[in-house]
Amino acid sequence: MEEKKAKTQEIIETEIQMGTVHPAALEPYRVRFFVEDEIVKDAEVTIGVNHRGIERIMEGLPVEKANMLTEKICGICSNIHVWNSVRVAEIGLGVEIPDRALYLRIIVAELERLHSHFLFLAHGCEVLGHETFSMRVFYMRETIMELLHMIGGNRVQYGCSIIGGVRPRCDLDESKLIKITEGLDTTEKNLKEFADRFTRDTMLLSRVTGVGSIPQEQAIKLAVTGPSLRATGVKKDLRTEMFEYENFDFDIITQPDGDVKSNLLMRVLESFESIKILRQAIKNIPEGKVVDRSWEMVDTDIIKSYIEAPRGTLYHSYAIEDGRVRGSIVRTPSMANIGAMQYASIGSHITDAQLCIVQCDPCFTCSDRAVEVYDFDSHEKLDKSILQSNIL
Amino acid sequence: MSYLTIIYSILEVIILLLIALFVGVLIPGIERKYVHARIQQRIGPPVTSSGLWASIKFLYKENIKPNSPVPGLYKAMPILCFIVVFLVFLALIPFNYNFVLFSSLIAIVGFLKVEEIAYVLMGSLSKSVMSAGLRFPDHVKGAERLGTLTSYLEDISSNRSLRMIAFGSFPLYLALFIPAALSGSIFLGDIIQYQQLHGPFIFTLSGIIGTVVFFIGLMIMLNEYPFSIVKAKADVIDGPYMEFASKYRTYIYVTRGFMIFTLSCLYGVLFLGIAPGLLNLHFILNIIVALIFVLFMGVFSAFSPVFTNKQFYPVVLVSSVIGALAVILGLLI
Repeated sequence: MEEKKAKTQEIIETEIQMGTVHPAALEPYRVRFFVEDEIVKDAEVTIGVNHRGIERIMEGLPVEKANMLTEKICGICSNIHVWNSVRVAEIGLGVEIPDRALYLRIIVAELERLHSHFLFLAHGCEVLGHETFSMRVFYMRETIMELLHMIGGNRVQYGCSIIGGVRPRCDLDESKLIKITEGLDTTEKNLKEFADRFTRDTMLLSRVTGVGSIPQEQAIKLAVTGPSLRATGVKKDLRTEMFEYENFDFDIITQPDGDVKSNLLMRVLESFESIKILRQAIKNIPEGKVVDRSWEMVDTDIIKSYIEAPRGTLYHSYAIEDGRVRGSIVRTPSMANIGAMQYASIGSHITDAQLCIVQCDPCFTCSDRAVEVYDFDSHEKLDKSILQSNIL
Repeated sequence: MSYLTIIYSILEVIILLLIALFVGVLIPGIERKYVHARIQQRIGPPVTSSGLWASIKFLYKENIKPNSPVPGLYKAMPILCFIVVFLVFLALIPFNYNFVLFSSLIAIVGFLKVEEIAYVLMGSLSKSVMSAGLRFPDHVKGAERLGTLTSYLEDISSNRSLRMIAFGSFPLYLALFIPAALSGSIFLGDIIQYQQLHGPFIFTLSGIIGTVVFFIGLMIMLNEYPFSIVKAKADVIDGPYMEFASKYRTYIYVTRGFMIFTLSCLYGVLFLGIAPGLLNLHFILNIIVALIFVLFMGVFSAFSPVFTNKQFYPVVLVSSVIGALAVILGLLI
C-alpha cells in the first residue's frame, strides 16, 4: 500500500497584486509585488490590457492618414508622436521643412513637454498623498493647456505637424506669441515658487529622498531612457542630436541619485530649460511659410526616426509603398523604462512601491504595442493566426 | 431618582445623539469645503455633499456581496463600530456618571480598543477583487514566480491595524490619562468636579501638552491624513472599508462623523470640564471643539503627504514620550 503523506504547501513569498484598476495608477496595468513584511523583494509589471493595434490599422493606410492616427497613441504626448511619424516620411521623401514650421513644431513640443512634466509632478504628489501640491501643479499646468488650446484648437490632440511643415491653423501671429510669453512668465514664476516650497518641505522630502533609487550603472544596463535616465546622472538628451534643436541653447539637466526626489526635481528643472527654449523660439521665430507642399510621394525602404519625447526616446519607423504605410513599428519610452520601474520598487515599503513605478513617469497605454498569445493550460506560445481564427 | 429625571435623561440622550449625528455628517463637507478647498484655492464641493447627501444616497444604492469568508460578520462590523462609539458617547453624558464603572477612563479605553480591533477584523474578512486582477503569469517576463501565496490588499491593512493597536494608539490613551493624573481619579464625574473647583486642565502645562497629544492621537484613531496608512490610497486603497457598499457605507460615514464629535466631547470632558448637556447649552461648546479639531485636522492633512512607517514611528514615539512626561508632570503636581 502506498504511503500516505500530508500535503504541504511551501510558502516562498507573499504576492500582492495591484491593478489592473488601482487609484494610484493613471492607466490599467497589473503589478505583482513579492513582499516580505511589507518590503518589496521583487516586482513584475504587466501591461497589455489596452492594446489597440494602431500599427496594424496603419498598415496600408495613406501616409497622411497614418500619421494622423499616431496622434491617438498617447493622450499626453500626442504631438510628439505625430511629429515623429511625419518626420519618418520627411526623412524618407527628402522633404525640406520651412524654418518657421520647425520653430512652430518646437514651440508645441516644448509646451507639451511642460504639460507632461507637470502632469508627472501632480501625479507624483497625488501618489504621495499630498493633495495640495498636486492641485497647485495642476493649476500651473492649466496655463500651458490653455496655450496649447490656443495654438491647436484642442487641449490634448492638436494635429499640428503634417508632411512638409505644420498646419496653417497652427501658425502663430504676434498676439498669440505675446500670449505665450505671458503664459510662460506666469508658469516660470509659479514653478519657482513650487520648487522653493518643495525643496523646503521636510515632511515631503523624507518621503521621497532615497526611495526607489536606481544606480547609474543599473539604469544604463536596463536601457532606461529620458528624464528617468538623466535623473541617475547620465548626461544624455536626444535633443542635442536633433537638427531641429541646432539653433537653441539649453542645458542637459541631470540629478545625482536616481531616486524619487531626483526624478521629481529633474522634471522641475527640465521645465525651466523648456521655458528657456520656448523663449528663444518665440524671440527668433523666422517669417515665411509654414508648410511646403512641393514634395512628391515615392516608395521608400524602412525609415527610422528617433526623437526626444517628454518621457525619453521615441522610435517610429515604416516603409512607404504606393503612398501607403508598410511595416509600421512604434516604440515608446515607457517600454524601455518598465525594467527600471520593477528595479526601483525592490527594497521599498509597499506604500512607496507605486511611487517607485510612478517616478519613471509610466505611460503604459502607449507602450501596449504587441500581443503574444499563450495556451491557457500548457502555457505554450501559440501562433498569432489563432487570433484571426477566434474572431472568425 | 424620579421617573421625570430618567425620562428627561433619555430625551436628552436622544436629542444629543441626533445633534451629534447631524454635526458628524456635516463634518467631512466642512473639512473639504472650508479647509482643504480654501487652502488649495478651489471652490470645493457643497458642504452637504461629502457627508450628509452621500450618506443618504448610499442608503438607496444596490448592495454588493462581499468576497469574504464570513460575510455576515464583515457586514456587522460597521454596526459594531457605531454601537461602540455610541457607548463612549453615553459614558460622557452626566446622567451616566452615576454608573461609575461605565463612565470611567478604563471603560472608554476598552470601547475604543474594540473599535480598533474591528478594523483588524474588517481587513482580514475582506478579499476584494481589487487585488485579484489578471490571474495569469506573465510569460513575457519569463513567468518566474508561479504558485505564490496571494495576499489581498485588505490583509495588509489588517496587519497595519494590528500594529496600530500595538503602538499607534499610545498617544490618545496617554492623553486620556493626563486628566486622571491631574485629578487623581479615573472617573469622569470626579474629573469634571475637580475642574469645576480648580479650573480647566487646558490652562495647565500638562493640559496643553495633553491637548497636542490628544489631537495627534485623535488623528491616528480616525485614520485621518497623514496617519492614514491603514487606508492609504497609494497601496491599500480604502483598506478595511473596501467592500462596504450601500447602507454599510452609510454606517461608515455616519460612524466616522459621530466619532469625531464624540472624541471632541471626550476632550471637552477631560480638558475643559464640560460635559455634553442640552439645557445648559454645553453641546454648543462641544460642536465648537469638534469644528476646531476639524479645522486643525484639515490644515495638517492638507500640508503633509501620507506617512509611511518611516515617518509614523518617530511621530508616535515623540508624542508618546511627551504624553508620558505630561502624565508624570500631572502626578508630581
